[in-house]
Amino acid sequence: MRQFLARIAAGAPVPVFAIAGAGAREQVQDLRLNPGVRLVDSPREANVLLVAGAMPESLAEPLQRIHDAMSHPRCTVVAASPEGRDLHAWLPDATAVALHEPIAGGLVDVHRGILRGDRPSEPALLPDVEPAPWRGVGPFGQGGTGMTGGTPYGRPMADLLDDRDGLRLDILPLTVGPFFPRFPSGLILQATLAGDVVVESAIEANPFTDLDFEMVTPSPTLGPFLRALSAPVPIAELELARARSHLRWLADALVSQGLHALGVRVLALAARVRPGDGEEVRKLERLLRGTQVFRWSLGGVGPIAAERLIAIAAGPVARASGIAEDARADDPAYRELGFTPVTQRAGDAAARWRQRLAEAEQALDLAGRAGPRQTEVRGQVEGPRGLLLAEGAPTGRLYELVPELLAGLEWGDAIATIVSLDLDLEEAALAAQLTAGVPVA
Amino acid sequence: MRTYASPEFALLAVGFTMVVGIYVVAMLDHVVGGRVAARPLLWREIVAGPARSAALLIVQRRMTTERTDTPGWMLAPALFAALAATALALVPLGPDLVVADPETGFVVFSAAIAFVMIAVFLHGWSPNSALPLHGAYRYAAQALSFQIPFLLAMLATALPAESLSIVEIVAAQESAWNVVRQPLGLPIYLVVGLAVSFWGPLNLPDGADLAGGTSAEDSGIARLLWQAARAAMLVAIAAMGAAGFLGGWWGPWLSGIVWMLLKTVALLVLLIAAGHLLARVRIERFVVVAWVLLIPLALVNIFVSGAFLL
Repeated sequence: MRQFLARIAAGAPVPVFAIAGAGAREQVQDLRLNPGVRLVDSPREANVLLVAGAMPESLAEPLQRIHDAMSHPRCTVVAASPEGRDLHAWLPDATAVALHEPIAGGLVDVHRGILRGDRPSEPALLPDVEPAPWRGVGPFGQGGTGMTGGTPYGRPMADLLDDRDGLRLDILPLTVGPFFPRFPSGLILQATLAGDVVVESAIEANPFTDLDFEMVTPSPTLGPFLRALSAPVPIAELELARARSHLRWLADALVSQGLHALGVRVLALAARVRPGDGEEVRKLERLLRGTQVFRWSLGGVGPIAAERLIAIAAGPVARASGIAEDARADDPAYRELGFTPVTQRAGDAAARWRQRLAEAEQALDLAGRAGPRQTEVRGQVEGPRGLLLAEGAPTGRLYELVPELLAGLEWGDAIATIVSLDLDLEEAALAAQLTAGVPVA
Repeated sequence: MRTYASPEFALLAVGFTMVVGIYVVAMLDHVVGGRVAARPLLWREIVAGPARSAALLIVQRRMTTERTDTPGWMLAPALFAALAATALALVPLGPDLVVADPETGFVVFSAAIAFVMIAVFLHGWSPNSALPLHGAYRYAAQALSFQIPFLLAMLATALPAESLSIVEIVAAQESAWNVVRQPLGLPIYLVVGLAVSFWGPLNLPDGADLAGGTSAEDSGIARLLWQAARAAMLVAIAAMGAAGFLGGWWGPWLSGIVWMLLKTVALLVLLIAAGHLLARVRIERFVVVAWVLLIPLALVNIFVSGAFLL
């Protein structure tokens, strides 16, 4: 009976919990386009763990935890360039596939293999022990360092705290990340929740800073911008990469709003767009207005005042708050094209969505008109997330702002706010290493 | 004492309806989702897809968390499915084609909807995990807000029938469907219906921002049962909507049962399309809209319907 069911099950889309390391964000995202694979939000739902790209060592244990949380029959697939040896040391049973070939085929094959029983389900990597013994500090094994609050039995308890309405409510400490599906890989948020409201939060240091980027091929949407730091790059190429980056962000952002199918549509568009396709983005914007996402999901959520964003050069995030700051405006080639920065005024999450859509549209129009024009080399470039310099990326500069932005937001709004910032920890770590003279591929 | 089917027949009929209904929901979801994603649709995948995904979850072994409330975790999908079954048993396919037609059918249906909160809360509470628990509390806020408008919208349909029996409510729509007599009723009912089965824009307890919320820790057959129960509840909502507002079995040319099925599928398509085309509603906004807008509108609906009957 089980074999019969397994045979039927082999035709179902493979439930994959996918983790994108450095240089693999796009490949992992593109799996959504493949009907044979289903990216799931919880490792419990997954049979296959995919780890793609390069990972810093500090994320080894969280990776193993995710592995052990998966249901049996389970297996791991590692998609990394040859120098990704570390991943095999952390995930010894993993099957390797090449990163720069379509990964989906490998996932389906491996999954069929474990369903057929050709290979055993992978055992746990970490010892299956409770995080703390169920014995307290009292003479009868009871209690801990407090009955409300504290950490009796090594487990944090709900505590009491005054909330915004003057009530004393339970608060709950919660750590989310580094592989929370709505966050960029590596982001670890420590939040204190009172009911649905984030009372305070902190973000841990970017784990990707420990990674040596010398061997990592930057993603195709980031590559042209890195090259533009030290060499002239055709504007058409740069603007197409910008439009694609914004559309790829939008595809993920739609998933966070529960609009999976629309996310797939946008992802397909990101792969398809060509210079001059601004009309496609205008059509998309009309479709999105119909979903009410700008009104009842994001309207008024996570506003950032313009004065908080001065001198951060946070690109679309700053321009959505009305700061008409854009490094492209100083480039003679862009001035010839009549470039002026687009801005919004509201500064909320909806404005940031609209801003990226408007910039994607503008980028495609610019790319269509740019002809052979090239950028001027000035050691800085306006990337899709803001001003990219040899000593830092916008994510690094926005990072410190996040806890302050989340305070007092409901959990859903806090997630929507983080998503709307388009943080990229890999880009931030990579840019920080450029000063060390890492050659850009 | 009104019509009741024999227990054996009732089990068979409701069980069959649920299985077929759940399968239809899964297929419709695939088709509508594929259209929205602009993805090519293959017949084979539409027809066999749900069975394959179900088989995959049956083959998957269940994982558990530390110190769970195991009976509660197992009970939650069963309770949810039982509530959907209760609701479905009350929906008449024809004047004589109903599993149970108590005089108080409307009250039984409302009670089933009210108990969904218990099932969802239990489901989020039991795994002893933060995100599911968070989802559970969210549903409590959501459910407390939708109960009253739901009750009021449904209650208005009982006025023209002067009865709380669902069969009577449908029978009273021979001259005019309730959707015409009470134009506010169906929209309120459908909004609340999405909230009851936490589907699409109102999937707040199991939402993407909680990585699956109350079902974040579910795996294997437990996940399958929970998803199936949720789909069954959506079918129950659509079927009761067809009976209460779209005239049930009334319609020209075709037989009553065909009309009833067509109307149910039409509402299902509408609800599922809303899931793919409308963005998540913020919980705060939903609570405000439910109390400030839906309750007064549902009251106006009742007063206007009552005034016409005087």
